[in-house]
Amino acid sequence: MLENYLPILVFIMLGLGLGVGLELVGFILGKNKPDDAKNSPFECGFDAFEDSRSKFDVRFYLVAILFIIFDLEIAFLFPWAVVFNELGWFGVTTMAVFLALLVVGFIYEWKKGALEWE
Amino acid sequence: MELTFQQLVFYGFSTLLLLSALMVILSRNSVKAVMFLVLCFVATSGLWMLLQAEFLAVALVLVYVGAVMVLFLFVVMMLDIDIAARRHGFTKLLPLALLVAIAFLFILHWLVGDNHFGLEQMEAPSDHDASYSNIRELGKMLYTDYFYPFELAAVILLVAMVAAISLTFRGKRSRKSQDIDKQVRVTKADRLRVIKMESSSSSQQTDSKSDEESNENKDKEQDK
Repeated sequence: MLENYLPILVFIMLGLGLGVGLELVGFILGKNKPDDAKNSPFECGFDAFEDSRSKFDVRFYLVAILFIIFDLEIAFLFPWAVVFNELGWFGVTTMAVFLALLVVGFIYEWKKGALEWE
Repeated sequence: MELTFQQLVFYGFSTLLLLSALMVILSRNSVKAVMFLVLCFVATSGLWMLLQAEFLAVALVLVYVGAVMVLFLFVVMMLDIDIAARRHGFTKLLPLALLVAIAFLFILHWLVGDNHFGLEQMEAPSDHDASYSNIRELGKMLYTDYFYPFELAAVILLVAMVAAISLTFRGKRSRKSQDIDKQVRVTKADRLRVIKMESSSSSQQTDSKSDEESNENKDKEQDK
């Protein structure tokens, strides 16, 4: 079975080698003459207003966590879809209950207005 | 001792995993630490693949690298981390931290060490042929034999959803914005109000008074 995944390993190696190699070539061959002006943060010609790491709205977090939950739900759908024909009605019912439970949550967040961005 | 190709890949991924895990706790920049954690998950996925668990390996990349790490990045970026303040009290807490770390190491060794997860208890997975489908085996088990834990997973996801909303949702914002649906659905009665005015002749005083009253009532209704 693992031999099916050999191409992926080759790709990983190739990507790793290319990424590291090109960086290395630039590091070795490129000229490097840093000075104060070059090392200072650049923001369209004027001094940077603030630190690039600023606090931001918690709503992004809410969207991310809702995304994860539905992502997991989709991950559960894949094996189900593969063996759909062999499972019969029991499998269909199992998945129906699973989806129904999550639809309850979906309706909750929809009605609560958590999906509204404005 | 001769290394097979699989062992070589295993040692490669294991080294990558250990080094990136070390970098997670050693790097000063917390965003970089999260990035190393991503690398950790990728390396773990490689190890799982070596254990013939192809679906789990792909799901690890899909769910953890794709989604959970986004969340981690959000959390890291939402916190206002002051490095100087965090270093404060490092030496004072060092003995306690070492104690906890050593205790944790022993517990970990006891739980997942040789006595529970050694090669005697858990055999190495046998090699499957190229047509073997791990996802098919998983599907057959998950939705029949293990349907109850599967439904429990749905309940846990539901709880997570409700918890996330109740923890972070601050209510709808009353920002004035254009609602095109509402604009299209508007009727004449919503915008236009015909008011009967008192005519210049004062012959029908009583009538006009009652008219005025009804108009006022109408106004109140409109306000509502």
